[in-house]
Amino acid sequence: MIEIVKEATFGSLKSIYSIAIIVIPIMITLQLLKNYKILDKITKPFGFFSRLFNTSNESVLPLLVGLIFGLAYGAGVIIQTAKEGNLSKRDLFLITAFLAACHAVFEDTLIFVAVGANGFIVLGFRIVAAFILTYILSKKISISEIDSLKSVDLEKIS
Amino acid sequence: MFVSSVKEGVKKGMETTWMLAKVIIPVYFVVTFLQYTPAIDWIAEIFKPVMAIFNLPGEAAIILVIGNFLNLFAAIAAIKAIALTPAEITIISVMLSFSHALLVETAVTKKLGMSVSKVIAIRVGLAIIAGFVLGRVGAIL
Repeated sequence: MIEIVKEATFGSLKSIYSIAIIVIPIMITLQLLKNYKILDKITKPFGFFSRLFNTSNESVLPLLVGLIFGLAYGAGVIIQTAKEGNLSKRDLFLITAFLAACHAVFEDTLIFVAVGANGFIVLGFRIVAAFILTYILSKKISISEIDSLKSVDLEKIS
Repeated sequence: MFVSSVKEGVKKGMETTWMLAKVIIPVYFVVTFLQYTPAIDWIAEIFKPVMAIFNLPGEAAIILVIGNFLNLFAAIAAIKAIALTPAEITIISVMLSFSHALLVETAVTKKLGMSVSKVIAIRVGLAIIAGFVLGRVGAIL
């Protein structure tokens, strides 16, 4: 029993450490890119995300971070962006839905390729499904519903 | 501007780490304890007959259960331990890519305001649909 508690304690601290050594450099890089006005140029080519799902421009960055680095890191950027007040409840819902289906595309795909899966099928299926899912959800949640969604307390997530 | 950007970035990074730590550590404990109970095997036993839907052998259930309740690395270890064809491994991989580490990752998405039932329905739903479709394709090929 004590062994298990020990394993859980060390294991969880180790996983938090491995998150910290990735998330802190990500946040520093994003802050630098933002303050030096480079960030907009990087996210611009990916603006089709926000046009397709009819979300705000600010939703593109958390989506990219989640897609590349993973759900937890995407969540971190989502919360930081939400704190700055640039995300509606609808944006938040749609980004979360997309990232729940598809995140950490490099890491997750390579893990499976390592044991003999076809990486193109794995990644292709996942990306296409995430787009279809989010697109359907984006049509379901119409503009008129944004106000009611907004009334949900955004502070709860910070 | 450089120094102030780095300072702001460090602050945000630490805030995010702290937020994630609060979410992940409790769930990590649950997952670790779960590994040492027979619960995983029981659940896998229940799902064995369902595997045929995905054109997978019954033993594959343990891989999906481990991947969903624990994490991808544990599932990979289980894949290696069971003799499967490349096609079967691809089916399992696609299913797991949609739906994995549900305890930890659902805790994270809950923090973003997404309800637990919704996010699990989305992920498990996509895994089932993908597994079914690929299973049919595999059966034809």
